[in-house]
Amino acid sequence: MRWGTAFGAVLAGLFVFVVGALSQDAAPIRIIPRLTGAAQPMSEIRTPPLDRPITDDVRRMRNYPEQPPVIPHSIDGYQLTVNTNRCTDCHKRQFTEGSGAPMISITHFQDRDGQVLSDVTPRRYFCTACHVQQTDARILVPNVFQDAVDIRRNR
Amino acid sequence: MATLKALFLWGWNWVLWFWRIISRPSAYLSLGFLTLGGFVGGVLFWGGFNTALELTNTEKFCISCHEMRDNVFQELTQTVHFSNRSGVRASCPDCHVPHNWTDKIARKMQASKEVWGKIFGTISTREKFLNHRLELAKHEWARLKANDSLECRNCHSTVAMDFTKQTRRAAQIHSRFLIPGERTCIDCHKGIAHLLPDMTGIEPGWREAPELQGKGSASLHGPEHAVRSYLAELNGSGAKD
Amino acid sequence: MTLSRREMLKAQAASVAAVAANMSVPAEAQPVAGGVDALQISWSKAPCRFCGTGCGVMVGVKDGKVIATHGDTKAEVNRGMNCIKGYFLSKIMYGEDRLTQPLLRKKNGVYAKDGEFTPISWEEAFDTMAAKAKQVLKDKGPTALGMFGSGQWTIWEGYSATKLMRAGFRSNNLDPNARHCMASAAYAFMRTFGMDEPMGVYDDIEATDAFVLWGSNMAEMHPILWTRVADRRLGHPHVKVAVLSTFTNRSADLADIPIVFKPGTDLAILNYIANHIITTGRVNKDFVGRHTTFVKGATEIGYGLRPDDPREVKARKAADPAATTPIDFEAYAAFVKDYTLEKVSALSGVEPGFLEQLAELYADPKRKVVSFWTMGFNQHVRGVWANQLVYNIHLLTGKISEPGNSPFSLTGQPSACGTAREVGTFAHRLPADTTVVNPEHRKRAEEIWRVPAGLIPEKPGFHAVEQDRMLRDGKLNFYWIQVNNNLQAAPNSSNETYLGYRNPENFIVVSDAYPTVTALAADLILPTAMWVEKEGAYGNAERRTHFWHQLVRAPGEARSDLWQQIEFSKRFTTDEVWPANILDANPNYRGKTLYEVLYRNGNVDRYGLSELDPAYENAEAKAFGFYVQKGLFEEYATFGRGHGHDLAPFDTYHQVRGLRWPVVNGKETLWRYREGFDPFVTPGAGVEFYGNKDGKARIIAVPYEPPAESPDAEFDLWLVTGRVLEHWHSGSMTMRVPELFRAFPGARCFMHPEDARARGLNQGAEVRIVSRRGEMRTRVEIRGRNRMPPGVVFVPWFDASQLINKTTLDATDPISKQTDFKKCAVRIVGVSA
Repeated sequence: MRWGTAFGAVLAGLFVFVVGALSQDAAPIRIIPRLTGAAQPMSEIRTPPLDRPITDDVRRMRNYPEQPPVIPHSIDGYQLTVNTNRCTDCHKRQFTEGSGAPMISITHFQDRDGQVLSDVTPRRYFCTACHVQQTDARILVPNVFQDAVDIRRNR
Repeated sequence: MATLKALFLWGWNWVLWFWRIISRPSAYLSLGFLTLGGFVGGVLFWGGFNTALELTNTEKFCISCHEMRDNVFQELTQTVHFSNRSGVRASCPDCHVPHNWTDKIARKMQASKEVWGKIFGTISTREKFLNHRLELAKHEWARLKANDSLECRNCHSTVAMDFTKQTRRAAQIHSRFLIPGERTCIDCHKGIAHLLPDMTGIEPGWREAPELQGKGSASLHGPEHAVRSYLAELNGSGAKD
Repeated sequence: MTLSRREMLKAQAASVAAVAANMSVPAEAQPVAGGVDALQISWSKAPCRFCGTGCGVMVGVKDGKVIATHGDTKAEVNRGMNCIKGYFLSKIMYGEDRLTQPLLRKKNGVYAKDGEFTPISWEEAFDTMAAKAKQVLKDKGPTALGMFGSGQWTIWEGYSATKLMRAGFRSNNLDPNARHCMASAAYAFMRTFGMDEPMGVYDDIEATDAFVLWGSNMAEMHPILWTRVADRRLGHPHVKVAVLSTFTNRSADLADIPIVFKPGTDLAILNYIANHIITTGRVNKDFVGRHTTFVKGATEIGYGLRPDDPREVKARKAADPAATTPIDFEAYAAFVKDYTLEKVSALSGVEPGFLEQLAELYADPKRKVVSFWTMGFNQHVRGVWANQLVYNIHLLTGKISEPGNSPFSLTGQPSACGTAREVGTFAHRLPADTTVVNPEHRKRAEEIWRVPAGLIPEKPGFHAVEQDRMLRDGKLNFYWIQVNNNLQAAPNSSNETYLGYRNPENFIVVSDAYPTVTALAADLILPTAMWVEKEGAYGNAERRTHFWHQLVRAPGEARSDLWQQIEFSKRFTTDEVWPANILDANPNYRGKTLYEVLYRNGNVDRYGLSELDPAYENAEAKAFGFYVQKGLFEEYATFGRGHGHDLAPFDTYHQVRGLRWPVVNGKETLWRYREGFDPFVTPGAGVEFYGNKDGKARIIAVPYEPPAESPDAEFDLWLVTGRVLEHWHSGSMTMRVPELFRAFPGARCFMHPEDARARGLNQGAEVRIVSRRGEMRTRVEIRGRNRMPPGVVFVPWFDASQLINKTTLDATDPISKQTDFKKCAVRIVGVSA
């Protein structure tokens, strides 16, 4: 165990050293066209193809319990209108045993006054205001947000 | 509209005149000529009829009416049956007209009601179309239910489905409901090509229809058990990555 | 604790794996490691950082970092809900490329316009800035100095900026990006009611029978208000929703009356509704007689383009677009008589049946109706007219200023109302609806600010689009941009904005938290503290003023906009910036710094550090030695108290989830101008529009006029720009949140499948969007959330690699000077791979 740790530390140190050396020379601002614009902001640049939705059906960890879970399956062509709500076909309480889908959270049964209703409140009807799909796009810049566990670990 | 009505009346008068002539026996022509002529005429008529019929069996014909073009066709263009990976496209008659001849004629005869609707402007505006959407959709659901989703199956045959190419959920639901014939395509895939009407009271397709639900719990919870055991299987295999 | 066989196996597998990887089993696998203390999170309230809805959020902090956020159940606006952006607020401050030190363009160790960004100290940053500003003041005077602010400034940041610019540097060249956002709404409020901001509140949603969305896509842009609309509509089946737009969007999914009209014809539809109300005898004659007067507006007023543009030369009334003449009801009725159902249906392309249903929502005296609008009306070459025309129909029927009857102008920025409008950051405005052109208003401001009389210049400064033109023309030479990304947001950017920023005569400073397109086009970048890294206050669209405390520290050397402004003021003495005659008359102001005269004036520095809440950090107060936010707020509040803009005491706002002004005797006002709700209404009047001296609102007769540019044979498509749910404005925050980025990773061009087919374009094909101004590459989207009619395309502007504003036209409403981002002509051609 100790050997492994030491080896890891050496590796990490080496990495920091190399990256540090590189960033010494680099400009203080990295050009990432989708965030900063192109190096010549008024010039024309190629547009990468549209990214594809992730539909692997694998639930993703939430950053914190209050975060609305992302949608891990295809919703292509799912209708969500005043007439019909395809999401509830599977996620409604009475349908979950058959569909195997997670039940809509109990928080969604509360009306504006906090009263718990017998079914999902109409104000939660349009699911996609909070629950979104993810695409396979590579993130542009890391986000250094730390969740409750990271914070405790880094103490 | 007025011209269409006039045309209709003119056509009817012509039919009456023609019937008056052909209902009398021939005084001049031989039986052989009549038989041969009848045959040739029949072939010509048949060819003409079928060509005309096929003309009405194109997307172009369907959307020559603004009712179709501005409403249902616009909705189709947003769906997977209009554009997709492999570029196979389903046009209106692919789903709404049977391929088999007798069924096709029967459907075309039904469709004469639509001509009537066109003449009298039943769905001449978007507003009227929205008001009729539930009724129109129910006709199509009933038709597809009755013919076991025949038009779907013209392209999507059960036996050709590779479950390993489907998502696990889809494969499971298909093998549970579709393969044994407990459900037909339209039960679950309503609204696959058009926007849905008010679906109040219409249960998800994979649910047991109330009339099929027996008293025993086996029937009521059959599908649930199947899915549950499937989920347990998934978890057990540790296949989630 | 019992473990199933399967869990047991899993646990064993995990520990075997951990041993194999030379790791210990993590502490969190143990039950409650560190006891319950380790689980504690410190929760505080704050308003959301994004749109003008003004949702309340609870922010969870642990060890100096935000670790969670959720909807505040006690916040009246959202009652525990957030939209997808709001739920990810926790991550907006933690993009890895946060700016943490000032960066100056340098070559060989000294500033150079074409130099590389080089880290410097704050000291050097302010020295360089001050030297540049002093040179410009000396060479060209205060009109060559300008500042571009934002509806995302906190209330005190905007208020401090208006003092610093107008009284300090004696320049009215201060404008907010809110000019791009709701200037039309603000002007229309002043022209109709003599007072800015809505009479109603969000509570109207729960009290109404019908909603009409005029060009607004609330489902994506104001999702939490949309949850309230959906709640009302789906929970009460008699309620109707009409959605008007130039394309079908997510809001149309809830519509009973879905209307897609031809761009710009909303003006005709509004006049048709007025005509319908009059011809069917449904005018509320009592209300109209007692509470309204009629005027006719000037017509052919041009398009706010550069004066040499042929369209401006041709416009008869471009010089005085805001002129009106009094008329009577009969003249008004005769004016709208032209707008018949047949004519308007043909012009707008909307079925007569839908138009009639829509008109009936307003005309039916038994139905309460709320009208909502945002950018569809405001970003419109006749935006002020559009706003006023909707007031017309509410006034004709008396459906205004009471629960459920409400013409409601929504806002796009968190403090578009609270800061941009209320504290007076527009080029012509002073706090609490006063203006620089009014000598009494200037005098009052000078008195409250305790500065010499005659200091505030009377001529309005350059508005946003004018600032870009003046930068390009070399007439505005020192320019400071705070909390916005104008190179991405401004129209015709490649011909105006960018050339202005890079004009060698100019020195451009950008304060921002992240390296944006605008920051990279600047000469000096100042790293800025954001949101809960400082104490702040926002004012939302329903007049709600909402405070928050500083909850975490800003990274590195990042400092708030407020600190930057005040610190900068220390670099100037009155002798350097004020004219000799004013100093001769007021010798006791000589030799003092702007910091001393503006911020140590006995008002701003009145409250000591002992007044701070010890539970919270306050970087600015500690830097200056007094409770600067409280001092600024209380000084600002004197402008409005007793005038119908009354604000509660500073400390109250830290306790509540915001209050809607006017707050009189501790009580907020829900419906203004209505007796029983609004204490400023004269008893017995019933309704009183007291913003106007006669107590009456104006109904205006103005016609349909065509847009500045329409499609033709060469540029054959309408271009509409806007936003998407997942990204807020230029995306500088939301594109750095991985979940939001990956939900909608790049801009695209929504178009009709037949338009795509006619150009040989497949779904996902790469295209060039070309206008008379410039071009942009993107990808075609024929499906998805926006369903375009033939001839119209939509492109969102959040993506910095796809600057759609290179193609847009810098035509503005001639009255409000707000750009029309919704209507210009483009052509689309495929890019061969």
